[in-house]
Amino acid sequence: MTDAVVLDEITKRFPGVVANDAVDLTVETGSVHALLGENGAGKSTLMNVLYGLYQPEGGTIELDGEVQEFDAPRDAIDAGIGMIHQHFMLVPPMTVGENVVLGNEPTKWGGLATDRSRAREAVRELSERYGFAVDPDERVEEISVGERQRVEILKALYRGADLLILDEPTAVLTPQEVEELFDVFEELTAEGKTVLFITHKLGEAMSVADDITVLRDGENVGTVDADETSREQLAEMMVGREVVLDIETESVETGETVLDVDELTVTEEGTDQVRNVDFEIHEGEILGVAGVDGNGQAELVEALTGLRSPDEGTVTLDGENLAGVSRRGHIERGMAYIPEDRQERGLVMEFDLTENGVLGGQHTPPVGGTRIDWPSAREHASDVIETYDVRPPNPEAGAKSLSGGNQQKFLVGRELERDPGMVVATHPTRGVDVGSTEFVHDRLLALREAGVAVLLISANLAEVRGLSDRLAVMHDGEFVDVVDPDTVTEEELGLLMAGERPDEPTTTESVSADGGER
Amino acid sequence: MSARDRIESGLRRLVAASWAERLGLSFAALVASVLVGGLIVFFSGTAATCQEPAYGVFGLTSCYNPISVYSVLVTGAFGSILSDPFNFNVALTLKETTLLIFTGLSVAVAFRAGLFNIGSQGQLIFGGLASAITVLTAGPLLTGVGGFLLVPLGVLAGALAGALYGAVPGALKAYAGANEVITTIMLNFVAEQIAFFVVSAYFAAPDSQSVETSEIPSAAVLESALFGSGSDFSIVAFVGGLVLVAGLYYLIKYTAFGFDLRTSGLQPEAARFGGVDAKRTIVSSMALSGAFAGIGGAVWVLMVLGRFQTGVPALGFDGITVSILAGNNPLGVVPAALLFGVLKSGSLAVQLSTGVPIQLVGVLRGLIILFVAMPEFFRLLGKQFVTTDREPAVATDGGEQTPTEPPSTGGTDDPGGER
Repeated sequence: MTDAVVLDEITKRFPGVVANDAVDLTVETGSVHALLGENGAGKSTLMNVLYGLYQPEGGTIELDGEVQEFDAPRDAIDAGIGMIHQHFMLVPPMTVGENVVLGNEPTKWGGLATDRSRAREAVRELSERYGFAVDPDERVEEISVGERQRVEILKALYRGADLLILDEPTAVLTPQEVEELFDVFEELTAEGKTVLFITHKLGEAMSVADDITVLRDGENVGTVDADETSREQLAEMMVGREVVLDIETESVETGETVLDVDELTVTEEGTDQVRNVDFEIHEGEILGVAGVDGNGQAELVEALTGLRSPDEGTVTLDGENLAGVSRRGHIERGMAYIPEDRQERGLVMEFDLTENGVLGGQHTPPVGGTRIDWPSAREHASDVIETYDVRPPNPEAGAKSLSGGNQQKFLVGRELERDPGMVVATHPTRGVDVGSTEFVHDRLLALREAGVAVLLISANLAEVRGLSDRLAVMHDGEFVDVVDPDTVTEEELGLLMAGERPDEPTTTESVSADGGER
Repeated sequence: MSARDRIESGLRRLVAASWAERLGLSFAALVASVLVGGLIVFFSGTAATCQEPAYGVFGLTSCYNPISVYSVLVTGAFGSILSDPFNFNVALTLKETTLLIFTGLSVAVAFRAGLFNIGSQGQLIFGGLASAITVLTAGPLLTGVGGFLLVPLGVLAGALAGALYGAVPGALKAYAGANEVITTIMLNFVAEQIAFFVVSAYFAAPDSQSVETSEIPSAAVLESALFGSGSDFSIVAFVGGLVLVAGLYYLIKYTAFGFDLRTSGLQPEAARFGGVDAKRTIVSSMALSGAFAGIGGAVWVLMVLGRFQTGVPALGFDGITVSILAGNNPLGVVPAALLFGVLKSGSLAVQLSTGVPIQLVGVLRGLIILFVAMPEFFRLLGKQFVTTDREPAVATDGGEQTPTEPPSTGGTDDPGGER
């Protein structure tokens, strides 16, 4: 069998940094190849080199035995490479068919008009051939995320791609959609296409790939056969040391109720984003919330943290009704909040770490108050940097200059060091590498042991299942069910996340997450 | 490298430029503007008709001498500053500088809070009017030693009126979502017309052809100590301006309010997260902005005119340029305002003592401001540009400081960030 791609000694430098250091990579035609590595290992850079976005300082690219030089993505596309980015490049108001042919429209009348019927036919034929269930006439804004991803793949195929590069394709999908995507991979390889995808999830790489190449610090650590490796081996290759993968939770005696949420409803533009949600969290307890993004988690969190006031229902913290209490009041009452969007909400990109360390505490001593004590602010930032292993270890570094994982580590550190009584954590390890994820988990568990109540919202099922004492599943603004994370299966969770109610007919009362039942 | 790449990397370098680099850049721009302006003067002179050419080079003769134009500009602005530091020209320069410090600070503080206050002009008018009315009313009551209170009272009245008038668009934005750019522009007209009405209906000076108040009591006039009388410049106002510059710098840098203000300006969402009351911050920073403009109006009345007169010069609008020139930094407002002052008094001298027509002098002034402002302008633009792709597309090893992001080529796609 020939090799679809042979990268030889690819080196790509950026000022002060070697992103790829003489990386070799061989991808067999018709195989699924996973590129595995932590954040900042150089995976995306390598793929961007292959796609012609970056020009390497050294090394050669060989496609199907021919040496290629790409000055721009256009050259790579012409050579049969298609890249599907994590953030889709689709025009939402246009139809699937229009999006697929965009830029390469079949024309009629001597190039004066787009031949819509021919375009639609071509798209329909392609999607049938690969078993994609997408309707070329539907608007992109009306289809699901999983379908949009398939449109992106169609777009690449329509342009004649034989090699498909996918950048973290599963990050935005539900477990069911991930399964469907992997079926698509099979269809593609059955037709002789080659799939190369970036991931930092071990399980995915193991289950779908034929071969796995691990990158660490810009270097190729090795390529292994997916059938002959183990999660432990891969994790060790990624991190460079042994990693404990299973989250070990010790049972903790739960105490008083810290947060009591009663019949909470949040309405936006006439529709209930959060409907009659009811739960309690106790001292020393982690309540997990699983669910597909956009099912009311964001609104729930905003209502709890004081960023918006609930339309109905009450939130009680340590016995005090928080109605009418400002966001600042929430902070002062010891509620830490790790927001989902670190670049918009959690950190000020233009500020350095010292200034970012002050955010939220600018009105409270010792650092804040009327006057901000910058020397102690710097000290505080340095402490967070040291404890949470933020790199570069420089409180004067701008937040913008940090990699996403390090931004997240600093943010988590700042919030958890507030000495909170209650922590609302949304996706606390999103974009954070394996080693740091382990550390953040340890910190959350340590807080739990110290009697802190934690609300954990995460798209990472393994994370919510591993850390939570109880696990609520949210769909369409409601808590569909509250389950025991140790006994629930992934399939059951998937169904609940899709809105399937548990078997026995239930009333709102019994599906609500009244605490303390464990 | 394609042209687009070059533009992108240029913008990135501008954004990352240090203070010293930015100063150097401004100076280089100044020199460049003088060169270009000189050429324009020379070639306009070749086309103009005059009795005797003033300057010739390579057989080309020109009616205007570009070298003397700039030397007159400098001497016009500073006079013989070495032998007589308190001469009339310096006073004229510093008068304009002082006024623009106040309006420059006004625009800058709003800018730092993410608000574009184009209403400094209106706030200045109200400040001036309130100041004049206050000292006219209080003048007869405060005689003798009490007269010392008139100036502080007048300045305070100006600050208050400006603050209130600035708070209006602030409240409209905070509580009704009205765009402050639109409301402040419109409120400028409102202020102008109300001032016209109030003055002509209630405070008109008897026997005056223009719409103006009576002269304010002499105790309320900011005296032109050091500088000759009639210079309409008081060092007290200038020093007061510098104190406000330092005060605003301290406020922005060292207080929790300043932190709230900056955070709101840079990232409103993060400010909300950090417990900043967005609405209150909008109203209070607009009020603060209005107060600075109002003080500017008070100084205009108490120092320059000695009365309030309608048809206030566009000090508030020049404040916008001053603030942009200063990179919205209070400390930068001083040199930026000084540049405006120099150009104002210098071009007056050029117009009077060389044959260069007033329109051409305007071109020279405009060129200097344009050249000096451009790097800062592109820096602001570049900031917008760079922040649109915040997540560095470049994955670096283990979180080393991410390098300046290399430009993406103009292909069909953007480099996807590794998240």
